[in-house]
Amino acid sequence: MSRFQRIGELMAERGPELVMSLLVLVIGLVLVRWIVRVLRSALLKVTNRVTLVSIACNILMVLLLAVVFVSASLEAGLKPGPVISFLTFVSLAAVGVIVLFRPLLPTLPFKVGNVVKAADLLGRIEATTILNTRMKTFDGKTFFVPNRKILDDIVINYHFTQTRRIKIDVGIRYDQDLMKAKRLLEEIMVSDPRVRAKPAPVVYVLNLSRDCVELGGRCWVDNPKYWVTRCDLLEKTKLGFDNAGLAFAFRQLDVHHYNPPSEPGPDFEDA
Amino acid sequence: MEITEGLKIIDTGWVQKPKGFRVKYRKLVEGQLVTELSPPEGKAGLDSDVVAWRYAWKLYMATRSDADGIQDGELVNIHVVNDAAERVKCYATNDFDEFNPK
Repeated sequence: MSRFQRIGELMAERGPELVMSLLVLVIGLVLVRWIVRVLRSALLKVTNRVTLVSIACNILMVLLLAVVFVSASLEAGLKPGPVISFLTFVSLAAVGVIVLFRPLLPTLPFKVGNVVKAADLLGRIEATTILNTRMKTFDGKTFFVPNRKILDDIVINYHFTQTRRIKIDVGIRYDQDLMKAKRLLEEIMVSDPRVRAKPAPVVYVLNLSRDCVELGGRCWVDNPKYWVTRCDLLEKTKLGFDNAGLAFAFRQLDVHHYNPPSEPGPDFEDA
Repeated sequence: MEITEGLKIIDTGWVQKPKGFRVKYRKLVEGQLVTELSPPEGKAGLDSDVVAWRYAWKLYMATRSDADGIQDGELVNIHVVNDAAERVKCYATNDFDEFNPK
């Protein structure tokens, strides 16, 4: 008996059940997809904890898929016992594989919502999949970065630390009052409410370079306030130094004009 | 004196670190001049004097009037105060600036 004949006989015997089973499967899958999508958007309106919402939706999706597969199998005429046993076996096997191989799987060094610098991009992580990571940079672009590239690259995760250090490096001219400049820069940092008292702000003389005396202000702020505080401190430093009459240095070059003693040049007319 | 004691003296006696800034102004309400703060007391103040002064200037630009006297909706004597309600010097001029003094 050929294969087509066997399929024909099967369809003659169990055709309506198989068609119903297929219908249940297709409609069920579409429904599951729709329900999970609606639930996800509804939960995201209530909370901004993307990871938690994602976990909840994924768990619900797995449960609903199991229900759909069992229903489809029952429609096809299978007994419920073996179907449930099979699904239980598959679930346990999947969990076992995950538990067993979890330590061996490379994990991305960030979570959704973290601000990271990876693959020469600085932005917020929006989603991660097995293959790639969706990152939104601060100029509004969305990048899909392959996880392979991230795992091979240096990643800076700005969410791992609560505080960050701000560097305010300025150069003043050699004829300026160094102590006055140091005091002023320290005062500017200390008086800002966002600058943490501990570790206390410090001003160092970093270098006596060719063009200037380099001063380095160092202070610590809470991570989310880093960028704005840095910009504000720079602005206040510039204006504060201007008000105090302290002149910033600029690139300069001393040009020495050399006048050689006049000597008679070669007589070209004789040549 | 221990170093820690000295540091405590410096913390309390040297440059004060305000907890927040507010913009203070006066305006006409039903013919009477009333003084108000923004953000109002009870709400968290602005944590940046740069932002506070910019905010004060924008309020001035948005409500100024060339007419004599104080007009309805006009904000006058706009300046920045700290959490202790003391006037704050403008970081840009190192002076107790005030927008729209009347």
